[in-house]
Amino acid sequence: MISVANAVVRYPGARDNALDGASFEARPGCVTAVVGPNGSGKSTVVRTLVGQVELASGSMRVGAVDVASADRRALARTLAVVTQREELTFPLPVRDYVMLGRYPHHGAWSALGPADATLVDAAAARTGAAELIDRRTDELSGGEWQRVRLARALAQGGDVLVLDEPGTFLDVAHEMALFELLDTLAREGRTVLLVSHQLNLVARFAAHIVLLDHGRVVAAGSPADVMRGVVLEPVYHWPLVISRDPAVGAPVLVPLRKR
Amino acid sequence: MSLSRWLLLAVALVAACAAGLALGPVPIAPGDVVRALVGAGEPQAIAIVRDLRLSRVVLAMITGAGLGMSGAALQGTLRNALAEPYLLGVSGGAAVGAVLAVVAGLTAAVALPVAAFAGAACAVVLVLLVARAARGRADPRILLMAGVVVGAFANAAIMVLLAGAGEGTVRSALWWMMGSVAGADWATIRWLTLYALGGGVALVAVARDIDLLALGEDAAAGLGVHVAGATRRIFLLAALLAAVTVAGAGLVGFVGLVVPALARALGVRRAREVLLASAVLGAALVVGADVVARTVRAPAELPLGAVTALIGVPFFLVRLRRVS
Amino acid sequence: MATDARVACIRRVLGSFPDWSEPVVFSAPAFRIVAAATLVASACGTPGDGRSRAATIEIVDDFGDTLRLVRPAARIVSLNPVITEALFALGAGARVVGRTHWDSSPVAALAVPDLGDGMQPNVEAVLATRPDLIVLYASNGNRAAAAAFHRAGVPTLTMHTDRVADLPRALQWLGRAVGDTATARRVADSVTRSLDAVRALPKGATRATVFWHVWDAPVITIGAGSYLNELVDIAGARNVFGDLQRPSPQVTMESVAQRNPDFILAGPVAARRLRADAQWQAVAAVRKHHILVIDTAVVGRPGVRMGEAARFLRAALDSATRERRP
Repeated sequence: MISVANAVVRYPGARDNALDGASFEARPGCVTAVVGPNGSGKSTVVRTLVGQVELASGSMRVGAVDVASADRRALARTLAVVTQREELTFPLPVRDYVMLGRYPHHGAWSALGPADATLVDAAAARTGAAELIDRRTDELSGGEWQRVRLARALAQGGDVLVLDEPGTFLDVAHEMALFELLDTLAREGRTVLLVSHQLNLVARFAAHIVLLDHGRVVAAGSPADVMRGVVLEPVYHWPLVISRDPAVGAPVLVPLRKR
Repeated sequence: MSLSRWLLLAVALVAACAAGLALGPVPIAPGDVVRALVGAGEPQAIAIVRDLRLSRVVLAMITGAGLGMSGAALQGTLRNALAEPYLLGVSGGAAVGAVLAVVAGLTAAVALPVAAFAGAACAVVLVLLVARAARGRADPRILLMAGVVVGAFANAAIMVLLAGAGEGTVRSALWWMMGSVAGADWATIRWLTLYALGGGVALVAVARDIDLLALGEDAAAGLGVHVAGATRRIFLLAALLAAVTVAGAGLVGFVGLVVPALARALGVRRAREVLLASAVLGAALVVGADVVARTVRAPAELPLGAVTALIGVPFFLVRLRRVS
Repeated sequence: MATDARVACIRRVLGSFPDWSEPVVFSAPAFRIVAAATLVASACGTPGDGRSRAATIEIVDDFGDTLRLVRPAARIVSLNPVITEALFALGAGARVVGRTHWDSSPVAALAVPDLGDGMQPNVEAVLATRPDLIVLYASNGNRAAAAAFHRAGVPTLTMHTDRVADLPRALQWLGRAVGDTATARRVADSVTRSLDAVRALPKGATRATVFWHVWDAPVITIGAGSYLNELVDIAGARNVFGDLQRPSPQVTMESVAQRNPDFILAGPVAARRLRADAQWQAVAAVRKHHILVIDTAVVGRPGVRMGEAARFLRAALDSATRERRP
């Protein structure tokens, strides 16, 4: 469970707050999505959770642990984050890369053992990356790389999963497969928090949507509540139509042309 | 990396050391070399093998291992395959310290190493201060740029110092800057070994952080690393380890750049293994380079830094081909 | 022989004359001609310092420039310790209005204003002394300075003073420049005689071998191209690195150990360091304490005191050889 209460974050030298008193919750058992226009503070939420940015006021908790005062390594055993971008300067074998997810469980001198290897294989199997385990990270396609990254996050063994724009660089099939996997993982009892631009996919897979604008939560609730023209248009400043495709069973957002 | 590759590295190091002990202007049979090492045989041979050749081999090993490890740590942490300790102000600062000692006429055997180390340490601190002023205390790009700035300033200082100096001073200063493992006494070598070992062990202890930092700052933070603190700590450890080697042997360039790349080319991946492989490979490389430096143009001695720079050239050519 | 005025007179008398600007002073035929000409010259004019007879002094120096003096030089800046010492030996010390920082011989030279370095000299400081002749050391680094002096209208005389054979020629040129070639020849002869005296001393059964330690980091010694090598030779010993052509070659400690010199010649500070250094113990001469302290500031210049230097070196080697432990 992730709970954010009146979080205020300001980047040094910035004029406005990146997060301006945002409050929301992500519960276990379902996918929670954070959406909003560019610059609304979505990535700032992720950055604050990993400790790269400090809260000016308010709090963010993962379970009972306050993020501001947590021991980062202990937190990494509970919370796994798949960031928007990951650049490996030097390519690794996929197995070694997924094994990095086990590091939070070991100190500087304790060795990684067969138990860790088993968990790595299990995580890879879970995300469909088992056949990639002997390849190298610089040989993977975009979709394969995402699956491997997700395997690494699962190998961390926690029950909270945060993903920042995981669908970037993925084609339709891979994106759908990824979201279905996230849904399954959530149903298994995990807390899954998803930051995404893809409103339509989010509407289909997330049980709870949080809409951010200029660092504040302007709407939060089920897709039916949030995916409405009257809610979205003032935030995105673009004419939208919400329709409902019976085959899909969730609200579908269709942006109109201005010209 | 497989066991056979590690054995290969070990064999390379042993072979380089054997060459370093057995080769030289005075012909000494291999059997006599071994005897001289334990203190038996002619006094001339003992003096040559133990005082002249062994001290060079040991100092060369420390220099190569230290620079190799330092380069490996920095390349991972700064996420840049072209990072090396000399880029971070270490070489410039050490050179200023050494030149100051030479200009001031300090002749004690410990004067140059201590001055060089002090200069390097000041430069490293200066780099961190400059990076902090630029609001990028742990940002790799800003650290690298600060290192270039401090290095440029150090070069200017050296030029000013040498411009007004006498011929002998200039010669001594230039010779130090070209790198050499000749003429180090055992007391100095003992201190250098201690510091280098300490630095090496400390780097191996943070090897996991290097692995995680190599993923990028946010990802590393998500895996439990205090990014700013860890980056600064590794930067300091690597820079000071390089400063120890510069104090002992002057400026021996390209080792910190080439050795980690070679280690990775052998198939080593994880930071701890890269560090250890770089140490062994770096030691073998510098011992070998020293053998070349003192046999190619006997009885004169090529500067060690020149020989290692010549190694750097084909390395860059190969990299260029791979990039294009 | 006095000035070129008398040369001109004798030319007229004899009709031919050897060219004085060539170093033929010591060749026997020239001696005979000089002896004959002196007899003739006494008919051509009174012996004197010749300053009263105006005739251009012309010397082609080591830069290839031609020095032309209408009258002998009266205000000379000497930018070379060997030349400063030589000028004083010629009795022309009063005419020296500037010297380099390194000119310490003879003691009287210390009273002359110190103008700084002799290599790449401070042109303004030199010109401020209003010289009518500047004597420079012939290194390429001084070409710019020579050109600057010419532009300012002051003639220069540039010469090599590196080897034993350079001194007599230097003395001859200087003698002409100050208008006193007789004294110049006297001084040159006395130097040559003193060197020959040392060469003629009886030698031992074997020649002692020496290593001359010039610098420590890197280890630099003297080679075949150097004056010190000639000095070693005159003193009856052999330089272990005499096969290297360069004047100051760089060598490794181990190669010194290999060539195993009988003695090591080093300056006072260096000698102390050698004795204390563990690595130098690899050289037998250091182990056996066969180190001779020779101050190159005194001994190292191919100047008018070369003979003394050779004598000193020979005596030091002799006494060390006698005391030497097997």
